[in-house]
Amino acid sequence: MSGAGSNRARAVLDRIAARLLDASVGERIAIAAASMTLAILIGLLVVAFAGYDPVQFLENVAIGAFGDANALARTLKFTTLFILTGVAVAIAFRAGVFNIGVQGQFVVGGFATVIAILELAPLLPTGTTGGVLLMILGTVAGSIAGGAYGALPGILKAYGDANEIVTTIMLNFIATGAVGYLVDGPFRGEGNRAPNTARIPEYVSLPRVVFDVPDFSVVGLAVTLVVVGAIAWVLARTRFGYDMVTSGHQVAAAAFSGVNARRTVVATMTLSGMVAGVAGALFAIMIQGYYSDPAGIGTYGFDAIAVSLLAANNPLGVVPAGFLFGALDSAGSHIRINSDVPVQLIDGIIGLVVLFVAVPELFRMAAERTGLGGEN
Amino acid sequence: MAESERDDDHPVPDVRLSGITKRFGDVVANDGVDLTLEKGSVHALLGENGSGKTTLMSVLYGLYDQDDGDIYVRGDRQEFDSPRDAMDVGIGMIHQHFQLVEPMTVLQNIVLGHEPTEHGLVDIESARTDVKAITDRYGFDVDEYLDVPVRDLDVGVQQRVEIVKSLYRGAEILVLDEPTAVLTPQEVQGLFDVMAELTASGHSLVFITHKLDEALTAADEITVLRDGGVAGTVDAADATEQELARLMVGREIDFDRQPRETTIGDPVLEIADLYVSGDRGLEQVSGVDFTVREGEILGIAGVQGNGQTELVEALTGLRPVESGTVRFDGADITGTSRRDRIEKGIAYIPEDRQEEGIVMDYDLVRNSLLGFQTTEPYVERGVIDWPAVRDHAEGIVEEYDVQPPDATTRASSLSGGNQQKFVVGREIEHEPTVMVASHPTRGVDIGSIEFIHDRLLELRDAGLAVAFVSSKLEEVRTLSDRIAVMYEGEFVDVVDPEAVTEEDLGLLMTGADPESAADHPAAGSGWSDGGTPAGDRRDES
Repeated sequence: MSGAGSNRARAVLDRIAARLLDASVGERIAIAAASMTLAILIGLLVVAFAGYDPVQFLENVAIGAFGDANALARTLKFTTLFILTGVAVAIAFRAGVFNIGVQGQFVVGGFATVIAILELAPLLPTGTTGGVLLMILGTVAGSIAGGAYGALPGILKAYGDANEIVTTIMLNFIATGAVGYLVDGPFRGEGNRAPNTARIPEYVSLPRVVFDVPDFSVVGLAVTLVVVGAIAWVLARTRFGYDMVTSGHQVAAAAFSGVNARRTVVATMTLSGMVAGVAGALFAIMIQGYYSDPAGIGTYGFDAIAVSLLAANNPLGVVPAGFLFGALDSAGSHIRINSDVPVQLIDGIIGLVVLFVAVPELFRMAAERTGLGGEN
Repeated sequence: MAESERDDDHPVPDVRLSGITKRFGDVVANDGVDLTLEKGSVHALLGENGSGKTTLMSVLYGLYDQDDGDIYVRGDRQEFDSPRDAMDVGIGMIHQHFQLVEPMTVLQNIVLGHEPTEHGLVDIESARTDVKAITDRYGFDVDEYLDVPVRDLDVGVQQRVEIVKSLYRGAEILVLDEPTAVLTPQEVQGLFDVMAELTASGHSLVFITHKLDEALTAADEITVLRDGGVAGTVDAADATEQELARLMVGREIDFDRQPRETTIGDPVLEIADLYVSGDRGLEQVSGVDFTVREGEILGIAGVQGNGQTELVEALTGLRPVESGTVRFDGADITGTSRRDRIEKGIAYIPEDRQEEGIVMDYDLVRNSLLGFQTTEPYVERGVIDWPAVRDHAEGIVEEYDVQPPDATTRASSLSGGNQQKFVVGREIEHEPTVMVASHPTRGVDIGSIEFIHDRLLELRDAGLAVAFVSSKLEEVRTLSDRIAVMYEGEFVDVVDPEAVTEEDLGLLMTGADPESAADHPAAGSGWSDGGTPAGDRRDES
């Protein structure tokens, strides 16, 4: 429309996109590292301009993330959730489906876990055996619920041509609202003042090994890494994974090879939602021990989008990306308590890092989708 | 920059293209093309897909820089860096795919980018007056839709909105890129009326088409392009469809047809009364019947966009049929999936290898699994055996002479010919009973063309039933045992390649009857929704 100007802009965009699309894995890691350094430098400048000591601030970040066993446990606690939700997002993105509804699947999964454990506990023995059994059943319930909640927008997309970005965002609100109502009403624990469910029994908890903290267990991290390994294996070594990833690259080529596009969309969303459900289960069992109003819990499912982008949607890459986000979040909660730097500034700096680190990848994906950067 | 060739004694043509040459890599898309557009006339640009029509007009519209040759507009030599420069001298282009913002109203679309403003605000009422003046002057029925969102309008009206938009921006020279491809017959007539109005008021039009009758009906002069060069320029009043078809197709050296060594066997693929719709729900295949037998090659000839794509997709299981049956080895497979058909033995060399046949970001190892996801030993119980797949890929690369001979090469870095050899090889490795191929040699270098032709003939000799679509006449004639000519969704004729001239074939492909074409030039101008004529797309090879 605006002739020459837009053509030139387009040419510049094309060149940048082509460079990004051609970048190797090593280059992409270098881009991410440089972006993060730059973001932190800018963040420190902002801190300095706001009248605080940037050196002190940086020190607080390090202490908050890795300073002692408690800090490290807190970092790993967040890391666990970021990795699982990040993998959930990555699965969908790799298949070319935009699951923005991981938060909702996470909430529904976690709530289902708590309810399943509360309902089944009277039927099973108490003690370690019952605890392990209940945790397994609860996690299965969480992943089924999350998977079903992910399958729903998948079905709507595959058979009703409903844009999954829109439906998953809406389903996030529905999940938050519905679970919020349920914990406030029908499933409110007896005698609870706050809108919470009853606590799950004491014996239903992960063992405290290495770190003696109430809300993180290395067993949880181990389960997470097993899930990551399993997903990576599915994507790389199975027909199902090949079909999914091929659909993500070129839908027409997948159809040519006999892949049923609709079924693949539904399966992808289901698998993505199941992983989000496992994240919800871990959150419920390892961290909270009950379920509260989801409006008040963290937005892991949203941050997961940035985690996945940072990892170039590679499930293995999600591990370090999740660790970075976990460390930042952990540092944030430390600084919030132990320094006079305002919360908004900390969140702003975390946002800056996210923005800097995720945007090159986001642009890459957008370029791939829109055909910028020419035929390659 | 302007050197004038004005001469007061002679009327100066609105546009003169002189020796335009445009190359894309090694491919010469336009080779020294001359074209003169007289003021107040319609000049048709006729040619097959890939003959260079759209490239030439993109040069005129400032989208491409020519490598050689000059553009004169009203006698002044021009250099266009962008469409903006072309618009500034009054050249407008109506693209095949409309450049309209669907949720916005007609009026908003027309003024977009050229909004009249008052104190920095859009003065939509003054725009309305200006647009009304234009529509009144040319008798367009667009003014009643000015406040209607574009998406609610018929395609024909949208096209007129595009034309009004160009006129509003002061275009006097309009390039219409295959404008009839998207229109119904009534709308085509309406478009011709609009074109007549425009020329009567002094505008000049370039009308791109590949339909002979349309060129004869609507144009004053016709330039035929073939292989990027001008095959001839004729006066529409004196031209006949036969003459145009000959120019379009050209005289080609007849390849020696291989003597048959095998006999034709039992029917393998039987198609009965098949109706198929295109992407936009319009009927593209309208009651086609045919049979392909063992050891036989059926060539399906036609200008692209006449339903071949939809037909092939219906055969291979990629597109549902509206009605009719597809039988394979006697069994009805009409409703079966693509996967079922691959496993039954229907291999497919797709039309668009870079979209369908290969995944550009995958290496050849990963690409060699495409279509083999349920084949042992590559995949067993859902788990991929990558070393076995790698052997498979290396086998294809070696046997089908894919260059470079390295299975870990990314598909996107292969030339078009080598990509196609890989696809052909992989599909043959299915050891199929039926091979369906769509434009198997498009955008492929000469050496690879011969290689692919030889493979298809080998398949025939091995007793396969082969059906292939092509718009290359000499290819259809050389390979086929029978030729079905497809036009507007139907088989207009099934002919013996020995008994038909390329000229007649060319006429059949454009819907004309070779027996009577000379008598009534408008023959065969039936309905046409055109589907998705893929435009003059060139594969870079």
